[in-house]
Amino acid sequence: MLLAHGVGGRQDLPIPFSAALAGAIIALLVSFAALGVLWTDPRLGGALARVRPWSGLFQRAVSSDAWAWTWRIVGLVVAAYFCVGLVFGPDDVDNPTAGVFYVLFWVGLVPLSLLLGPVWRALNPLRTLHLLAARALRRDPDAGLRPLPDGLGYWPAAAGLFAFVWLELVAPDRATLPVIGIWLAAYAVIMLVGAVVFGARWFDRADAFEAYSDLIGRLSPVVRREDGRVAWRNSLDGMSGLRPAPGLPVLVVVLLGSTMYDSLSGAPVWVRFVQNNPLPAPVVGTAGLLVVIGLVLAAFLGATTLAAGRGATEPRVMAGELAHSIVPIAVGYLIAHYYTLFLLEGQRTIALLSDPLVSGADWLGTAGWTVGGLGNTPAGIAMLQVTVIIIGHVLGTVLAHDRALALLPRRAAVTGQIPLLVLMVLYTVMGLLLLFAA
Amino acid sequence: MTHAPARFRSLLSGLALGAALLGGVSACSESSADTTPASATAAGVKEINVTIAAKSVTPPPGRIDVTKGQTVRITVTSDVADEAHVHGYDKGVSLQPGTPATIEFVADQDGLFEVETHESDLQLFQLAVR
Repeated sequence: MLLAHGVGGRQDLPIPFSAALAGAIIALLVSFAALGVLWTDPRLGGALARVRPWSGLFQRAVSSDAWAWTWRIVGLVVAAYFCVGLVFGPDDVDNPTAGVFYVLFWVGLVPLSLLLGPVWRALNPLRTLHLLAARALRRDPDAGLRPLPDGLGYWPAAAGLFAFVWLELVAPDRATLPVIGIWLAAYAVIMLVGAVVFGARWFDRADAFEAYSDLIGRLSPVVRREDGRVAWRNSLDGMSGLRPAPGLPVLVVVLLGSTMYDSLSGAPVWVRFVQNNPLPAPVVGTAGLLVVIGLVLAAFLGATTLAAGRGATEPRVMAGELAHSIVPIAVGYLIAHYYTLFLLEGQRTIALLSDPLVSGADWLGTAGWTVGGLGNTPAGIAMLQVTVIIIGHVLGTVLAHDRALALLPRRAAVTGQIPLLVLMVLYTVMGLLLLFAA
Repeated sequence: MTHAPARFRSLLSGLALGAALLGGVSACSESSADTTPASATAAGVKEINVTIAAKSVTPPPGRIDVTKGQTVRITVTSDVADEAHVHGYDKGVSLQPGTPATIEFVADQDGLFEVETHESDLQLFQLAVR
């Protein structure tokens, strides 16, 4: 239905939709062929000790305790300001809370993490509260009551991410204060209790927002090395450093699949389906979200299983080893999907944020902001969307290729990747169709 | 408070907004003109008529093309008291049972805008302004 839906009807794009689609597929095929010929040894994800740290004053500044505490305090202050509107503000359209949570925070973490790395880890107010409590009690924040089980992996973060995307995309009354408040309260309790039980490492593996910021932040050009020093690095090395762990494939697929579902849910065909359905809209929405994520996961597991069959690799190992290649695809899709939302609703939210109690105040001096396109044209946005989606898939292809060279026997290294190439083409076609045709 | 969720849903269908900013209008509204709300262009005014009965929207929700700068006149007839709202333009009208109510404005911003009811939380159609 979807395939029949959009192709051929895109004359209003600056380039015809079929050309965008063909261009994307050609880009994938060409990069795949070029990689097969030119990139014959695994070369990514080497030891970070090789990367050159920054020197001098900058290094001393970013390595200092004061630097870390500055960002922790910024996180606490911003969270406290957010809670003013959440707890004391009126529950109406002029309250900035929903815009701050879904737009400035959730979408805003994408560019921040892409540029600067896992920023939410540095800002996370819950992590800071736990740290302060541990200091007050003279306990080691990393030591919990019991060790974090290794088998847990990213499963708690995957569950948390699903809980968030369900709230964002499906939950009834999801922009109202009680719904956001209850969700955040439950999240805070689970995070803090988990941190008491398992120590601060709990945040690494269970905090959906830290995991999200960390996944995207691996594409950042800056990295903090194990020794605490900050250095430039190749983004692909950073992404390649994401090692397999239980739940990792599901975590990345939830990220990609939920964005695809968001595209689908705006399509008139889906709106008609939901409104004509005798089942309540949240039930249909939940089912739709699960089905889309399930299909993206099935495609990923199918392709990685086929690729594993070409070598002597276990399918589960292959899926874990290749999960990192999904991240740039998801990031490209997130940017393409949320760019206009971030641009327009972001400006509006910053204006509303100046008056969180909706009392006519102008605390930040931004209350008078009017929303503008900031020079963005429909054609320019379309080009940006196509471009980031293609870049995401090409980076995914490069990452998968490099990992396949390390995993597959040499003679099967290229042919073994054909299922992965088919997967990338499938994701590209679906992504572009949903973006431009839905 | 029912305003916020309705507003936010449209906001989060940012994809739709993005698609619209591209000038995207689904092939659907072109290929199935009979399922889109009855509309006629008279003297540059886009007339759109929608009826809501037993929580069912007639014609079923689809996308309607409007030229930027064109006047849009939306007439909604509902069998229950409600409020109709055009997102983005933030134009609304309260609906009395059985009495047609009209929203009229000049479509001067491009993009894709959802037109919805607040109490019954139904999408009536999406307005694609280019």
